[in-house]
Amino acid sequence: MPQTAAITRMTGAGAPPRLSSFANWADRHFKWLLVAPAVLLILALSIYPLLFSLVVSFINYDFQVPGHAFVGLKNFERVVFDPVARWSLLLTALLSGISVAIEFVLGLAVALAMVRSFPGRGVVMSILIVPLFISPVIVGQAWTLLLQRPFGPTNYILGALLGQEVTIGWLTESPWLYISLVVADVWQWTPFMFVILLAGLTSIPPNLYEAAELDGVNAWQAFWAITVPHLAPMMLLALTFRLLDAIRMFDTIFIMTGGGPGTSTYTASYYLYTVGFTQFHLSQATAGSWLFLIFTALVVTLLVRRLLKVETA
Amino acid sequence: MAAVRSARRPRRGGAPVARFVLLGFFLIFVLWPLYWMFNTSVKPSDDYLATPPVWFPTEPTLLHYEVALFTYRGLEGLINSLIISLSATALSALLGTTMAYSLARYNTGGQHLSFWVLSQRFLPPIGIVLPVFLIYRQVGLYDTHVGLIVAYTVFTLPVSVWMMFAYFRGMPRSMEEAALVDGCTRWEAFWRVAVPLAAPGIVAAAVFAFIACWTEFFFALLLTSRTAFTLPTVFRAFIGFQGAQYGEAAALAIVSLVPSIALGVLAQRHLVRGLTLGAVRG
Repeated sequence: MPQTAAITRMTGAGAPPRLSSFANWADRHFKWLLVAPAVLLILALSIYPLLFSLVVSFINYDFQVPGHAFVGLKNFERVVFDPVARWSLLLTALLSGISVAIEFVLGLAVALAMVRSFPGRGVVMSILIVPLFISPVIVGQAWTLLLQRPFGPTNYILGALLGQEVTIGWLTESPWLYISLVVADVWQWTPFMFVILLAGLTSIPPNLYEAAELDGVNAWQAFWAITVPHLAPMMLLALTFRLLDAIRMFDTIFIMTGGGPGTSTYTASYYLYTVGFTQFHLSQATAGSWLFLIFTALVVTLLVRRLLKVETA
Repeated sequence: MAAVRSARRPRRGGAPVARFVLLGFFLIFVLWPLYWMFNTSVKPSDDYLATPPVWFPTEPTLLHYEVALFTYRGLEGLINSLIISLSATALSALLGTTMAYSLARYNTGGQHLSFWVLSQRFLPPIGIVLPVFLIYRQVGLYDTHVGLIVAYTVFTLPVSVWMMFAYFRGMPRSMEEAALVDGCTRWEAFWRVAVPLAAPGIVAAAVFAFIACWTEFFFALLLTSRTAFTLPTVFRAFIGFQGAQYGEAAALAIVSLVPSIALGVLAQRHLVRGLTLGAVRG
């Protein structure tokens, strides 16, 4: 009887559906059941390990020293008074700061060049974003192929351009090896800046520029008066995201220099990796990683607070 | 006259010549390492030390691909990478979508819960991976596929949750409300109505999760060794040979970057959302 079915449906509409007691319970706690699996997984594989590592950093957990005795702050002391640790933190700050600054300026310039349409723009766009989808290991490998003496063609090309022989050890001599690491990072992540800044640029209403032009404002003035203020939230977002990834720098160093020569290209992550996984001082490494975590948290709080301020202003 | 002239003048981006010179240089900068890698992968080993360098190999060879895939266990790494990345992507998309729906529609846990998930994205991996390594060794998950799948699921969850969170908030509620009025349970409104409507967003989030897993190195390096090793970790074998294995390294790199670049370029419409965790609509 189609008619009766329609009537039952109509009377049923608006009324809570009839359910078994379990289904009823599940329906009432629906929103918590939906978040539960993801939250439990994050608790198990991120929060629990972090707490565990806090415990480990106060005890002796060293594959070379037997026993798990409580040692207080000794592990933290070992890191703080290790000159290599301080050097690696400084190098992390320098390398990430310089790389991100170059990526930002270059990314902004390319975004400005790409903002207006031209024939072939779609193809150029597809090529420019390719580095974002490549493993940093492969980026390191690609630049090693270009730079490693005597196999890489870089010195030959430079020699041809400059008209004299060039014999730079790009991956072994200071300061060239730092430049190589920065170049590899810039190659991979300038597109990140570019993509976000381009999205910001395209959302600026064009009539602002038209009005400015009628007022006789030149392009340079328009850039500072219109582009920069409108783009500021996007700039901060791009810089924050990028900086927080840059301070983890590990993969390209692992492939390109292996931290060397000596400890000259140790970043914070690389230092902690060698302490934990090649020297097996696990307690010292977890203590160091907690210190690094605190540094990161400070950077996050500072930057994100700025970010929120700009967005609410 | 003046109007015509000013209309021709570029509004943004400076003089046209400077624009195209900059773009030209940048394109070369992006393409050059990729070309050289491809070139190295098909070049006979005898050409490596030639001066001037061999710009176009005249007798290309596939030998390096064969050696990289079979002698250096590149094929095993490729298969492991596929199994682990696909499983982690599926899990991450599923759990991320359910959580994001709850956050977007029921405001579960308020801002605290969503920002707590976001903060996971910015934890330095070294802080997590050391204790996870110790725990995995104790519970027998070290160097297993399951272990790395679980780790990758957690590591991609912030991206999945936040991309889907932004997607659901941009979607009208009316269809789900209509379904509830019609007598659907909340689960049915979610599973039968909201999820199919959000399918494009879920696919985009899954693509970015897959690329993140496919290109990941750090977790794989420390949590696997001889069994569940992924493709990026195979590159360890080529370090320190001073050039002898460059063809193999380049060949393996070419094999490995094809899937992620293809997916990435296909999903480029969603790229801005993917990079900013949904914060910016591209």
